[in-house]
Amino acid sequence: MIILDFERVWPSLPYILEGVQVTLAYTSVSLLLGFVWGTLLGLCKVGHIASLRWFAAVYTSLFRGTPLLLQLILIYFATPQLTGYNISIWQAGILTFTLNSGAYISEIIRAGINAVDKGQKEAALSLGMSYPLMMKDIILPQAIRNILPSLVNESIDLLKESALISVIGGSDILRRATIVANDKYLYFEPLIVAGALYYVLVMILTIAAQFLEKKLKTS
Amino acid sequence: MIRLDNISKSFGHHQVLKEVSGRISQGEVLAIIGPSGSGKSTLLRSINLLEIPTSGRVYIDGICINDKKVDIEKIRTKVGMVFQQFNLFPHMTTLENVIYAPIKVKKIPRNEAQKLGKGLLEKVGLGGKFNTYPPHLSGGQKQRAAIARALAMEPEAILFDEPTSALDPEMVKEVLNVMKALAHTGITMVIVTHEMSFAREVADRVWFLDEGQLVEDSPSQVFFAAPQTNRAREFLEKVL
Repeated sequence: MIILDFERVWPSLPYILEGVQVTLAYTSVSLLLGFVWGTLLGLCKVGHIASLRWFAAVYTSLFRGTPLLLQLILIYFATPQLTGYNISIWQAGILTFTLNSGAYISEIIRAGINAVDKGQKEAALSLGMSYPLMMKDIILPQAIRNILPSLVNESIDLLKESALISVIGGSDILRRATIVANDKYLYFEPLIVAGALYYVLVMILTIAAQFLEKKLKTS
Repeated sequence: MIRLDNISKSFGHHQVLKEVSGRISQGEVLAIIGPSGSGKSTLLRSINLLEIPTSGRVYIDGICINDKKVDIEKIRTKVGMVFQQFNLFPHMTTLENVIYAPIKVKKIPRNEAQKLGKGLLEKVGLGGKFNTYPPHLSGGQKQRAAIARALAMEPEAILFDEPTSALDPEMVKEVLNVMKALAHTGITMVIVTHEMSFAREVADRVWFLDEGQLVEDSPSQVFFAAPQTNRAREFLEKVL
C-alpha cells in the first residue's frame, strides 16, 4: 500500500516557495534581455546587410539545433576554462537563457515584421522616413502587437526550461524540491509540490495570454 | 518639375515598362490612364523610387534621383504619395498620422505641426476625427486623411495611385472632390486613375499607357475628344 505523507513536507514548504522568486527572476530577466537580443537579431534577419543576415541565421540555427542543457553546462563550466573568469550560477543561467530565447524570439520578431502590411513600409518611405525611424515607430510597434501572444508562449517555455538551472546548482523551485526530497527520503510529495507551483505559474501566464489575445482581437 | 528619361522596368523576364519618357511641369495635373497591367502604377511608383527602374533616369527639379549620392529621403519629402489601400498607420490617431512625419522628418515644432495638421484635416472634412484611429474610419475618410497626411509635408507634387479604386461607390465622390479642390492650387498632381470623367474634368494632360509604353501624351481635351492613336481610341470606346 502506498502511503503519501504530505505532513512531512509542510515544514519545508516555505523553503520550496522561496524558489518561486528565483525561478521568476531567471525567467523575467532572461526574457527581457532575450527580447532585446531577439529584436536585434530579428532586425538583422529582415535587413539589407548580407553578413548580418547570415550571422543571425547561423546563430539561430545553432541555438535551436543543440540542447539547452548542453548550452547551459557548456557556458557554466567552459567559461572559466576558456577565459579564466569565474562565472556565477546566476550569470551563467541568465546568459544561457538570454542567448537561447533570443534565437527563438528573433524568429517570432522576423515573422511579425514580415506580417506587417507592405503598404506600411511604402507609406513610411514616401513620407521621407529613414529606415531606422520607420522600423522603430511604424513597423515594430505593429509587429510586436501582433506577436504578443507568441511572446507569452515563449515566456511560458522559458519559465519551464529555467528548471534546468537546478542542474548547475541554482536554487530554483525544482532544486529546492529535490533538496527536500533528498533530505527526507521522500520523493513524490516535494516533487509534486514543485510541479504544482510550475503549473500554477504557467496557468497564470496562459490566462494572461488568452486575455491579451481577446483584447487585441476586439481593438 | 519631373522628368522621366527612358524608364524601363522588368520583373524577371516580364518587362512592365518600356523606355517611357516624359515631362511633368510645376502645378500641372496629369492623369495616367490605360488598361490594367499596362504599367501605370509601376511608372508612378518609379517617380519616388518605391520602384527602382531597371534602366533610365528620373529627374526631380533637375536632380537625377537614381544617383546613389542623392539623398532619396529628402527628395521623397518633396513628392507625397496617396495609395490605393490608404496605408494609414493603424496604431496612430488620425491627427498623429498627419503630423508624425512633419515632426520627425521635417523637424517642425509639435505645436506648429498640430496647427497645420488640424487645419488640413478640417480642410478635407475630418474636423471631428482628430483622435479617431484609422480602423474606425470609413474608406472615404481614410483616403481623405491620407491626402491630408501627404499634404502635411507641404510637397511640391503628390502621386495618387488609384486613389478611389478600393472605395465603395458612394465614397468615391468625396475623395474626388477633395482632389478637385487641390488641383490648380500650385501643387503638381500625378494621378493613376480609372475615373475617366474625373480625368477629363480635372486633368490638364493625359498619358495613355499600353503594354508598358507611353502611347499617347496629349492635353486632356484633345485626348478625350479625338485620341491620336488606335489603341487609345479602342480603350476609350470600351470605358466610356
